[in-house]
Amino acid sequence: MTHPFCSQEKEIRRLIDAGAWPQGSMPELQAHAKSCRSCAELIRVRQAFRDARSEAVRQARLQSPGLLWWRAQLRRRNEAVARIGRPLLGAQVFALVATLAIVAGLSIFQAKEGFQWLAGLAESSSLHWLHWKSLESLSSVVPVIPGTSISLLVPAVLMLGLLSGVIVYLVLDDLDNLDDADRQRHDSR
Amino acid sequence: MNWEHILPKQWMGEAQRDGIAADVTMDNDAFAAFYERSARPLWAYLARVSGDAALADDLMQESFVRFLCAAQTPSLAEGEVASRRYLFRIATNLMRDHWRRPNAASIEEVPEEFFTARDDSAQSDSQAWLGPAMARMTLRERQLLWLAHAEGYSHREIAEVTGLGSASIRLLLFRARRKIAALLREQPAVMRGQA
Repeated sequence: MTHPFCSQEKEIRRLIDAGAWPQGSMPELQAHAKSCRSCAELIRVRQAFRDARSEAVRQARLQSPGLLWWRAQLRRRNEAVARIGRPLLGAQVFALVATLAIVAGLSIFQAKEGFQWLAGLAESSSLHWLHWKSLESLSSVVPVIPGTSISLLVPAVLMLGLLSGVIVYLVLDDLDNLDDADRQRHDSR
Repeated sequence: MNWEHILPKQWMGEAQRDGIAADVTMDNDAFAAFYERSARPLWAYLARVSGDAALADDLMQESFVRFLCAAQTPSLAEGEVASRRYLFRIATNLMRDHWRRPNAASIEEVPEEFFTARDDSAQSDSQAWLGPAMARMTLRERQLLWLAHAEGYSHREIAEVTGLGSASIRLLLFRARRKIAALLREQPAVMRGQA
């Protein structure tokens, strides 16, 4: 499809925008506009829109710019707090769940040794097991992995839970940043 | 209380990267001056293209708030023209999203009276003339025509605002102009005389 734009349109457009049509134009250009369909359309449409714009600009109902500025500041702060809070909450929940799962698993794994220890405790008639040395012997009778003791296992489990929480926080933070970037891209699309 | 002083530097660094500190590029006074010059043309665009003054109020506020919150807000160094174009781009997308919502009436279903006699106090000669013709155009045609003929944007600028291809703009605008010119020609002579 061809677009029969006329070469005179640019000049006519300039004169309309300057408010100088038709009084400020050459008689030849006015004569051309009467005979050219494209220019006649341009004049009709552009003048109608320029008039409508002038009217509408006068009718505009404006709010205080300070109020909009304040709303934008508030929204930015809320978004910043929400962005930081979301991954933090997720990490906390994950750390709690991971810790509970580890504790539950450990309890089940150690149940057998625990029962044996309780049986040994029942056989003992004195209370000297409360002494520190008895705790040392306790850690030696409940090995989880051959060569390790509970005094190493507990900090390791805690460290694992802590690191898991940090990793989940970082992952969720990245996901949030991606979401925000997508949203802003959509706004300006 | 200022949150920037509470939040860790690492987080605020990311926040600034994401545009949370857009006031670095445009402060309150600069925004007030920009608003003074841009708000009326933006309201006119929204009101005449949507045909709803109340909707134009809402969309204009939201456009400015998003403009201030946006990461890619052009700085004053890039010029006010770029900032205004970016503002119109946000408003154009908001208007399109509004009409796309399921609960929003389809633009084709809006009665002609909606555009011509919704607000008697604001009724003007130019609106009485242009309104009925605008009511028979699609939203996109209205946007293109307003940007080209009321705002005087070039095809390239319209492409930036609407997100359409520059080559498509030329064809779409040509068709839209021809269509509305025919509709304006059909208007009663009395209305034409008023305008």
